[in-house]
Amino acid sequence: MPYAVIRFSVLAVMAIAVLAPLSLVGYQSFLSAPFFDSMARFTLRAYQFVFAESDFWVAFGTTLIVAGGMTVIALPLGAALAFLMVRTDLPGRAWLEPLILIPLFVSAVVLAFGYVVALGPVGIISTWVKGAVGFLPWNIYSLTSLVVIAGLAHVPHVYLYTAAALRGLGSDLEEAARITGANPWQVALGVSLPMVMPSILFAGVLVFFLGFELFGLPLVLGDPQGLLVLTTYLYKLTNKLGVPSYQLMAVVVVVIVAVTAPLVYMQRALLKQAQRYVSVRGKGLKQAPLPLGPWRWLALAAILAWFTVTVVVPIAGITLRSFVVSWGEGVKLLEVLTLDHYAELFDYPNIERGILNTLGIGVFGGALAVLCYTAIALSVHRWQSGWTRVVDYLAMAPRAMPGLVAGLAMLWVFLFFKPLAPLKATLFSVWLAYTVVWLAYGMRLISGTLLQVGPELEESARTIGASPLRTQLDVTVPLIRYGMIASWLLIFLIFVREYSTGVYLLGPGTEVIGSLLVSLWGTGAIDLVSALSVVNVLMIALGLAVALRMGVRLHG
Amino acid sequence: MADLTVKNLGLRLGDNEILRDVSMSVPRGKVVALLGPSGSGKTTLLRAVAGLETPHAGSIKIGERALYDAASGANLPAEKRGLGLVFQSYALWPHRSVFDNVAYGLKLRGISSDERKRRVEAALSQIGLSHLAARYPHQLSGGQQQRVALARALVYEPPVILLDEPLSNLDAKLREEARAWLRQLIVSLDLSALCVTHDQVEAMAIADRIVLLNGGEIEQEGTPAELYEKPRTLFAAEFMGSNNRLAGESAGAGKLKIGDQIIEGAARGEIAPGAPAVGVIRLERVRVSDTPGPNRMKLELKTQMYLGERYELVFALGKSLVRAYAERGLAEGAHYVEFPRDAFWIFPSKR
Amino acid sequence: MRFVTLAAAFLFSFSAAAQTPPGYPADYSKTVEAAKKEGKLIIYATTDAVAATPLVKDFEALYPGISVEYSDLNSTEVYNRFISESAAGSTADLIWSSAMDLQVKLVSDGKALTYASPEIPNLPKWAVWKNEAYGTTNEPIAFVYNKRLVPAAEVPQTHTDLEKLLAAKPDFYKGKVTAYDPERSGVGYLFVNEDVKNWPEAWNLFREFGKTSIRLYTSAGAMMERVGSGEHLIGYGIFGSYALGRAKKDPGLGIVLPKDYTLITSRVAFISKQAKNPNAAKLFLDYMLSKRGQTIIANQALLYSLRDDVDGPASVKKVREEVGDKARPVEIGPGLLENLDQMTRLAFLKKWQAAMKGQ
Repeated sequence: MPYAVIRFSVLAVMAIAVLAPLSLVGYQSFLSAPFFDSMARFTLRAYQFVFAESDFWVAFGTTLIVAGGMTVIALPLGAALAFLMVRTDLPGRAWLEPLILIPLFVSAVVLAFGYVVALGPVGIISTWVKGAVGFLPWNIYSLTSLVVIAGLAHVPHVYLYTAAALRGLGSDLEEAARITGANPWQVALGVSLPMVMPSILFAGVLVFFLGFELFGLPLVLGDPQGLLVLTTYLYKLTNKLGVPSYQLMAVVVVVIVAVTAPLVYMQRALLKQAQRYVSVRGKGLKQAPLPLGPWRWLALAAILAWFTVTVVVPIAGITLRSFVVSWGEGVKLLEVLTLDHYAELFDYPNIERGILNTLGIGVFGGALAVLCYTAIALSVHRWQSGWTRVVDYLAMAPRAMPGLVAGLAMLWVFLFFKPLAPLKATLFSVWLAYTVVWLAYGMRLISGTLLQVGPELEESARTIGASPLRTQLDVTVPLIRYGMIASWLLIFLIFVREYSTGVYLLGPGTEVIGSLLVSLWGTGAIDLVSALSVVNVLMIALGLAVALRMGVRLHG
Repeated sequence: MADLTVKNLGLRLGDNEILRDVSMSVPRGKVVALLGPSGSGKTTLLRAVAGLETPHAGSIKIGERALYDAASGANLPAEKRGLGLVFQSYALWPHRSVFDNVAYGLKLRGISSDERKRRVEAALSQIGLSHLAARYPHQLSGGQQQRVALARALVYEPPVILLDEPLSNLDAKLREEARAWLRQLIVSLDLSALCVTHDQVEAMAIADRIVLLNGGEIEQEGTPAELYEKPRTLFAAEFMGSNNRLAGESAGAGKLKIGDQIIEGAARGEIAPGAPAVGVIRLERVRVSDTPGPNRMKLELKTQMYLGERYELVFALGKSLVRAYAERGLAEGAHYVEFPRDAFWIFPSKR
Repeated sequence: MRFVTLAAAFLFSFSAAAQTPPGYPADYSKTVEAAKKEGKLIIYATTDAVAATPLVKDFEALYPGISVEYSDLNSTEVYNRFISESAAGSTADLIWSSAMDLQVKLVSDGKALTYASPEIPNLPKWAVWKNEAYGTTNEPIAFVYNKRLVPAAEVPQTHTDLEKLLAAKPDFYKGKVTAYDPERSGVGYLFVNEDVKNWPEAWNLFREFGKTSIRLYTSAGAMMERVGSGEHLIGYGIFGSYALGRAKKDPGLGIVLPKDYTLITSRVAFISKQAKNPNAAKLFLDYMLSKRGQTIIANQALLYSLRDDVDGPASVKKVREEVGDKARPVEIGPGLLENLDQMTRLAFLKKWQAAMKGQ
């Protein structure tokens, strides 16, 4: 089969998987009723209604503030963290690395609820602080807190991209600066950081983008004050009219997609800039770390403080909650300790299946997803064509849909696309939804490793007579296999923590922990939510430990 | 400005001894080439001088100023050494224009911006690139990038400039031009330079002195002519020039037995009679004749190649080959090949 | 002795399976037969699986051979899934949701199968509509409070008490009262709407809510968690069933059924017109309404039974003991559809917003 045919069929499958749910949502936004309703007519009423809503504009403004604010916080911290980890003699770098990435893998709902227990108005730490200083210096439910927490939680994103760029930077460029007379800090500020600036900005655009689809944190932390962002505004919109109105939800999704599309354009431009720098880089000699002197303990303390606030505090909060019957003002924790929530959890119908399904979707589904991402990434690899731009936009589009809407759209696909209907009640539906929603993330992982394969290695295979497909199977894929394994690990962790996408596909046989969490949160079973969250966090920790133990490197 | 002197330098990377007891110097106004095969430690030595690698023994000084001294524990960081280094990859900063690349060193030295401008312009005009000051590195050709890298290293007038394979990234034709240009520039500016290269022709062309390194130790040091004409070791003899190597056994001082024939030559080192030995002769010293005579062997002509200014002849000697140059092509068949006695060096062989 | 009871239970279940229960039509065994042939029953419900498990287990014991697939979702998800799936052709057999208005809408849209349950004579009138929608529970809407932090003398016993308490101690209760948000939550809207119907002065109470910066949520769990912890002190308009379940575990949580009037809501069930297993669905509906099912609802699921002949901690008798004749059931019927009328709803919410500003 000619290579072009294979390439186009891979891309066609991808395009269908992305466009089917997305275009359903787009189509829905122009109708007067659910698209499957025979009463549905073409109209712009839904747009008129949403744009006339003051709540919409408030939510839109808040979303911009949250997205912008968290970018402003995450960017310098993530870049500084990457510099400290990659370029200095910071103590304990080896064991800090996996810790730094943990916030990526913990459900936002879990984090948020952990914060309520730990730092809420009568939280465990709050009570203690109030006792010590007489008042509580923070309000966990404020917009500021939301922005700060979201910002801190997204530091790892910036870290990942900046660290990778710093590692790829030819050490000769920095050495040249030192020879010229720059001290380590002048090198950092004058050469290293400006050179990785495109990558930092790339990560910044990504974080800003993620700010638009933030859901768990505003859901829990914004609830008491009625703080709305676009994703939680969807809820209010649904209820305002009493009956869920898909056309209105669809309008909001279309708005989010429209607002975030230019971000993809910016990302492409920045990536091009970053690659231009890569192409002129020199030899990657071993880099001697910059000595920080006594400052390194301060730097370590700052990182640990960040880690404590971002991970330890909320996880300690949720863990504690899972072992007590009640907490708060006037409760002596020692008197209310219990294991009942876990006992109750394991009495919960099909909980074992839910845990097994989650593991299955993480391990096998993750592997399968990595294979799909690899196939797509290979199809556009070294392809000089305008189509690659289309592929980039397509990959990013699903992430612009809030998870709940993406899940609902996927349900529609499985309902109304008859060949898929028999698979609706199987884990395949959940897997496909996850794989599509995380497409951009997975593609970025794989194309990152592909960038490191020298073109001459592939060209030499071509010249000795291998077809393009053979070359990719025999040369490219073996060369990126470690990158693929690392991606598998990351996708595993992401799939295990994913929560909102699977809710509409939840049913007997397709229970996964994430959607069970959302469903339990809705019915108010917080005892179970906390116990299940702890189980989820343990699974993630275990997965991470096993993978690191087996020598999987988080980046190549 | 004073000499750069390296004394008894030792350097390890992990368990590997990269440099062992290396001593050398760069006299003022001279160009010294560090020559050797890959893995000989020449680049490491250059980087140690630059302050990019840390030795464990010996010292590196410029005049009386110690850059590194194991005895006193002195070890200046790279940026305090005030040297100039031209990287093999040029290492131009892609986010800075040509002007800013060159000006950076002056800026770090607190030179006022007017003065900076004047000196950068002077440096750029020296290398003939004044018109490209506003360009970015990726907009320059390889040769232009190399010149900018040189200007960047020269502009703050370092006592010694270090060049790491400065010509290896240029294509062959350009390389020869750049070689002449570089030599002329260094001489006209009266610079002291230490230059790493693996190319012996390049080393001889650019340098006043050559330090030949092998396995982390200095094999021989001297002027290009000394190294070429009076190699002290088999390694030095074979590394310089194009050579024939004839294996045999010693038949007494200055005599090498090849097969059943004895060739007389200049003995280099003590060899017991009967011990394995090697004869080395530069290609251009081999002569071809039609008649037998002393130190001549009758060899079959295998093939000949036309090189433009001359022919290269290839003869068979047992299973090995003997090569020679000639003004004209030869007829097929056997010829008498002469190894002049003073050009035929006989070294002990380890075999 | 124990053996005897076990054997009796076994015999009873056996006979129940084999024979027609008293009061049921003679051909009911045919329905049972058909249901067993179907072998399966799919339920979408808002009742969480933990509470529903005793019901499901007991049903499966009663009718061996019928396995129940039970999915618990929130009320919006139940609605979305049901209408999407029924448009595509196949969906759950039984829909059981606490969103009374959405359930009534689905029934009035003709999505329900008409089926006269033989248990109708045992049910209150308000709980049956068109022989399609059936109320299955009798859930009082309660106040909850933090026993440690609310002085015993201040615990409000009526809606008026609460209004007076907030007016008297606005600083103490500032930000400390919580309720469902009628703008963001369907049940929230239902509750305040019913309040106004039953007690015209409710707007005064709502204005006090506004003045004391009431905290509005979308989830009962979030509210009770925060009342239990002391972050808030009083929760207004909480399902009595949830409160009872929570109070059983957390002794610090107090429950009051208001003495002036107590709203009674019900989980509404109907059989889907497109049910693949309609007979099994009929059996389950009848079972939930039967004395046996209601006994489990009153004693194990704690969802408040609605039959007069059932005892237990969560039963209609218990509610009557506390509030006498002040129970005010929300009638299942077309009246609820008004709630979903866009204009009415937006107008009501506007009034609510004004009240929140103290107007």
